[in-house]
Amino acid sequence: MEISYLKIQNYRNFRERKFEFEPEGTLILGRNGIGKTNLLEAIAYLAFGKSFQNSKDAELINFSKAFFRLEGRFKLSEKDHFIEAAADKNKKIIKIDEINISRISELYQFLKVVYFSPADINIIGGAPSFRRSFIDQAISQYSFKYIADLRRYNRILKQRNALLKEKFDPKEKRSWDEQFAHLGAAIIQQRLDYMQEFIPVLVDYYARISGFRENLDIKYDFSFPHQGDDIRDDLFNHMEESVEQEIHYERSLCGPHLDDIELTINDHLARNFASQGQKRSLSIAARLVQANLISSQSNEPPILMFDDVLSDLDKERSKEIINLLQGTHQIFIATPNSETYKDFNLKKIDLEN
Amino acid sequence: MFSGYLGELVQQLKKLPGIGNKSAQRLAMHLISGDKNKALLLAESIQNAVENITNCSICNMLSESDPCEFCADTARHKNFLCVVENTQDIYLVENTHEYHGRYFVLGNLLSPLDGIGPDEINFPLLLDLIRKDGIEELILALNPSAEGESTINYIASQLEETSTNITRLSTGLPFGGDIEYTNSITLGNALKRRYSVNN
Ligand SMILES: [Zn+2]
Repeated sequence: MEISYLKIQNYRNFRERKFEFEPEGTLILGRNGIGKTNLLEAIAYLAFGKSFQNSKDAELINFSKAFFRLEGRFKLSEKDHFIEAAADKNKKIIKIDEINISRISELYQFLKVVYFSPADINIIGGAPSFRRSFIDQAISQYSFKYIADLRRYNRILKQRNALLKEKFDPKEKRSWDEQFAHLGAAIIQQRLDYMQEFIPVLVDYYARISGFRENLDIKYDFSFPHQGDDIRDDLFNHMEESVEQEIHYERSLCGPHLDDIELTINDHLARNFASQGQKRSLSIAARLVQANLISSQSNEPPILMFDDVLSDLDKERSKEIINLLQGTHQIFIATPNSETYKDFNLKKIDLEN
Repeated sequence: MFSGYLGELVQQLKKLPGIGNKSAQRLAMHLISGDKNKALLLAESIQNAVENITNCSICNMLSESDPCEFCADTARHKNFLCVVENTQDIYLVENTHEYHGRYFVLGNLLSPLDGIGPDEINFPLLLDLIRKDGIEELILALNPSAEGESTINYIASQLEETSTNITRLSTGLPFGGDIEYTNSITLGNALKRRYSVNN
C-alpha cells in the first residue's frame, strides 16, 4: 500500500501545500520546528482519522483559519482510492471515494500506517499503560471485533467503577461482574493470540539488532492470579474475592485494563535496567513486528513513518534495523540530518524550500 | 435580545433532548411570530397530555387510563409478561403480531453512572406483579447494550428461586443494535426465537 499524493490546507503550520510521493517513500528534511512531524501527522490522519499526537481536531486547525482540510490518493490492492478529511471547531467529515464514513474505525481497513514515534521508547521504559496501548492499537488495526470488545469493556468498567462508589445490592454488582469477566477474558485471549505470533518474530529481530548478544524474553503479566486455562473464571473469582478492596478503592482492581507485558533482556527487566539504546532499538523492533503482522494478515505492507528515531542509535544497531526494512514498505522519514538515513536511497523533500 | 417571556421560552425549549441554543431560539421565534392560534393549540395539547397521562399502576406504562388498555384487556394471555424499557417499545412488540401477553415497563436500564439502580428500574413493582399473578414466562425484550445486558442478568438472578421461565430475545439483533431501529420482521423473529436465560 502506498500514498502518492497529499494536499494540506490550514493544517498546523501549513497554509496550503501539495506533495507527490514515490512508491518507495520520501525523506522529509528541514530544521527542527519547521513542521516535519506535522507532515507525518497529516498523512497518518488519513489512516487513523485523528492526530497520532492525540491533539484535538480544533488544535490542528491553523490558528488564523476556521477549518482544516486534507486530501490524499493512495493505492490498495492495485486499486486507487481518494480520501478526504476536514474538520472545523465543531465537527469532522471523512470521505473515502466520495462516500462519508460514519465511524472512524471504518477507516482502518483502508490506509494502514505504523508510526515510529520518539515517544515509543516508553513502550519499553514507561508505565504499563504504554504497553497496553501498544498492543490494543496493534490488534485494533486489523480486528473490528477487538475494537468492539474494547469499547464495550471500557463502558462496563466505567459503570462498575461508578457502582463501587455507591451502596449496592450484591446481585446488582454480579450483573456487571459477569459481563466484565466475560469480555475481560475475551480481550485477554485476543492479546495472547496476538502475542503468540508477535513474540517469536520480535525475539528474532531483536537478536539480529543486538548482534546476537542479547536474549529477549516476553510474557503476559496478569493483574490477577491465573494458572489454568479458564481466564474468565479466574477473573470472576478474583473479583468476588477482592470485593472489599474494590469498595475501599472505589474502582476495579483487576482485568485487562491493568495487565502488563513483561520484557526481559538477558534476564533483567527491560523497563528498569535496559539502556537508552536497548530501549530505543527494542521499541523500533516492536513497531516493525506490528507492521510485519499487518502485512501477513492483510497482504498489504503498511506505510512506515520514522520520526527521526534512528539518530540516537549506534551505527551497528541502526544498520541492522535498516537491513530489516529493505524494500517492502513505503517509508517516510522525518529528520534534520539526512546522513543517518542515506542507505535508504529515498527521494528528498526539503521543507525549507 | 432574548429577555423576559421570550428568554424564558428559549430556556425551557433548550431543556428538550436534542435542542441546542440556536434551535431553541429558532423554535421560539417561530412560535411567537407565526399563527398565534397554532402556538396556543400546542400549549393546550402539551397541558392535556401532561395532565391526563399517568403511569399504569400495574405495568408502569404511560397511559390515559389506569389500569392501561393492556392490563384491562382480559383477552390477553395473563401468564406471559414482556418486559421492555420504554412505553414506545410496547408498540414495537405489538407491531410484530407475535405476542399476545401483557407488558411491564422498566422506565430505565441499570446504569450506576446515571444513578440508576434496581429501584429506578421499578424492580419492586415488577416483583409484586410476578408474585401476585403467577407469571409463567417472563420475556426480557431489552436492548443488548452493556446496560441492557446488566439489567437482564440482574432480573434473572433475582428470580432464580421462582418457577418463572425467563427468556430473552434471540441475538438476531445486530451487535449493539437498538430495538427501536429494528424493523418489525427482525424483532418478530427475535421474539419467536427467544431463549432461556440460564445463570
Ligand atoms: Zn398496565
